[in-house]
Amino acid sequence: MASFILRRLLLLPLMLLAASALIFFMLRLGPSDPAMDYLRLSSVPPTPQALEHARIMLGLDKPLLVQYITWLKSALQLDFGVSYATQRPVLPDLLYYLPATLQLAGVALLLTLGISIPLGRWAARHQDEAPDQWVRLIAFIGVSMPNFWLGFLLVLLFSVHLGWLPPMGRGGWAHLVMPAVAIALMSLSINARLLRASMLEVKGQRHVTYARLRGLPERHVERSHVFRNALLPIITAVGMHIGELIGGTLIIESIFGWPGVGRFAVSAIFNRDYPVIQCFTLLMVTIFVVCNLIVDIIYAWADPRIRLSAEGAE
Amino acid sequence: MRSLLKSASIVALVAGLAGPAAAETLGFSWPVNVGPLNPHLYSPNQMFAQVMVFEPLVKYQEDGSLAPWLASAWEISEDGRTYEFTLRDDVTFSNGEPFDAEAVVANFDAILANRERHAWLELTNQIQQVEVIDEHHVRLTLQDSYYPLLQDLSLPRPFRFVAPSQLIDGESAQGITAPIGTGPWVLADTRLGEYDHFVRNEHYWGEKPALEGVNISVIPDPNTRAIAFQTGGIDLIYGVDGPISPDTFQRFEQMGQFTTEVSDPIATQMLAINSQQEATRDQAVREAINHAIDKQTMVDTVFYGTQPTADALFSPTLPYADVPLAPYAFDPELARQLLEGAGWRLGDAEGVRQREGARLSTDLVYVGNDAVSKSMAEIIQADLARVGIETRLIGEEESSVYARQRDGRFGMIFNRTWGAPSDPHAFISSMRVPAHADYQAQLGLDDKADIDAMISDILTTTGEERRRELYTALLTRLHESAIYVPLTYTNAIAVARPELGPIPFGAMASEIPFERIAPQGQ
Repeated sequence: MASFILRRLLLLPLMLLAASALIFFMLRLGPSDPAMDYLRLSSVPPTPQALEHARIMLGLDKPLLVQYITWLKSALQLDFGVSYATQRPVLPDLLYYLPATLQLAGVALLLTLGISIPLGRWAARHQDEAPDQWVRLIAFIGVSMPNFWLGFLLVLLFSVHLGWLPPMGRGGWAHLVMPAVAIALMSLSINARLLRASMLEVKGQRHVTYARLRGLPERHVERSHVFRNALLPIITAVGMHIGELIGGTLIIESIFGWPGVGRFAVSAIFNRDYPVIQCFTLLMVTIFVVCNLIVDIIYAWADPRIRLSAEGAE
Repeated sequence: MRSLLKSASIVALVAGLAGPAAAETLGFSWPVNVGPLNPHLYSPNQMFAQVMVFEPLVKYQEDGSLAPWLASAWEISEDGRTYEFTLRDDVTFSNGEPFDAEAVVANFDAILANRERHAWLELTNQIQQVEVIDEHHVRLTLQDSYYPLLQDLSLPRPFRFVAPSQLIDGESAQGITAPIGTGPWVLADTRLGEYDHFVRNEHYWGEKPALEGVNISVIPDPNTRAIAFQTGGIDLIYGVDGPISPDTFQRFEQMGQFTTEVSDPIATQMLAINSQQEATRDQAVREAINHAIDKQTMVDTVFYGTQPTADALFSPTLPYADVPLAPYAFDPELARQLLEGAGWRLGDAEGVRQREGARLSTDLVYVGNDAVSKSMAEIIQADLARVGIETRLIGEEESSVYARQRDGRFGMIFNRTWGAPSDPHAFISSMRVPAHADYQAQLGLDDKADIDAMISDILTTTGEERRRELYTALLTRLHESAIYVPLTYTNAIAVARPELGPIPFGAMASEIPFERIAPQGQ
């Protein structure tokens, strides 16, 4: 197990390197000129002298590869440069905004699990009956509706018309409800359907029939023999949902005025603020890889077949 | 008012947007934090906030004139090269430091130490020396006479004054210790990504603001801003560059329960036509384009009537711009006649005119992700097609569009003047610079060299009468060349709770006169 974790962790720097090169060169493939973007964001008229000055200052007069290596050297010392737009160091600002995003994504994850699991169990227990149809309808809507649109609808209903919830900003729990629901609805819809399908599949297996034959109460069979086995695909799916949820914060944070890293990144993308986009991408890759690693560890621990085969191999 | 502010502060408290909300604090919003508020630097310092805290020697007025401000009087030498300013003697910085000749010179020195950064502003290149005469008198010496000196001094940046104790080793290029100015507001608190809180400067030398403070929430999204206003999170929406979309403005107007206002023209939004390109080199084609575009429909459908149509490059309300010019009226029939007369005949099945085998075709460059520009471009394309001119729309990234402006790779391109107090002098000055769309567009004119010489004359002449004559000649020449299609005059909009009373507009596009907002019943 330890060697498995170590191997995965060793892969992280390689993935970061690949991602950094990809984003660095992709950003510069476009027709736009970073020196021009820099001047525009600093509101300095782009005279030829000003452009020349900016090119030298940003190191754009050097070949692309040299620029990348220079950037990489600083990045290895955790210096990701200064934002064109805010003129502040990039990493401290991203880390400043990160907790707000993690809070939002974390609550969305809790909502996803807390709602999708009972819904999925309910639907599986009443296959093809009314509850199953209801869950199907909710899932259909949840998967089809873009999260930003749902966000606006929620604001219209709960803030503008009913006045129950604050439309924007970060504060108490009331602030979290709408953005978290807007982000979570799609993941929880998928999850509920997944759990239902998985439970129905397990229900037909022989060990469940055997448990029933042993005369165990139906509730016990469902909990200990069906549900626990059906959870395995859910654990895998959660790894992917984490990415979805964090990705969802990008737009939702802008709509709900949530002071997180997603909103910061969206304005950086609009402004073509290269240093911020690069650092943000690497931060997201790190979070994504680490979360997936944690999910894999939980999966291995939860499934004795994997755990035991890994131990047997060592 | 009390109940409004009370309820506003409760909402704000519940919403947690407003941070330290208090009674008589106005809730406002801006897309980003106001920045470190260094009066001598640019982005990320937000101009409207720099103006709240820092003041100029002379203040730009709505009629384009300049009024005494931190300087109570000034004298100009015969040759126009020396200016002597008398400073007010009752002004202190918000930390109690005196505002005197030493402070003025310290600030000028800090600005000029970073001359390269301000090279775009002609005044920085012209200043030779700034010296203390006595406690309340300062002398400014220029290399040559430069008439817009006072206009440049009135700009939001860089010629404004921070307490000298806040300069770092006498300089401001690398930052200042704290934003201590002489203005009506003091920055009290900032939370990155959330808000900036300003309070009234209790030691202000002028008339003190009626409001106790202004709380500025960070809201980048226009729809979110509209909702924050509607639900009571903020009390005022104000701005020039679409703080909310035109249709949202119209909705608030129709609701009838809010104050909605539109300012006088601030700048001109126009189309620059490139006189260097094949089709548009022809004067008749440029005139036809001017006659073929239906500006009124554009204003009604794209701007929901919030902006007036423009007839000239500069609004006649600007200094020297009140020149009698016959507008190019919307007249597609006349446009067709002009084209026929110039030999452009309808021939092919697509309805595009031709002359000697050349198609009457041009392109229109706009910023691709700007929905308003895109709609305007489509209207222009359709209008021109009606008279037989083919227009290819080129929607590109902002910096690509800038690059095309610089090297003239456009047939037509959207452009706008810079607004008060840069119009008209700084804008015409830039027409001589190759990196500007105006220079590129005019380059195909036979008398471009004469136009540039005329501009240089305007900027250096010391005689008022002569300057007016030159302006009239220049603006008439540019109008007759049909290089520009003036489209609309942009303006500032304001949406506010009625309890705030009428909302005044700033004389400059970049200024928001919070200090003149007087809630009713006070």
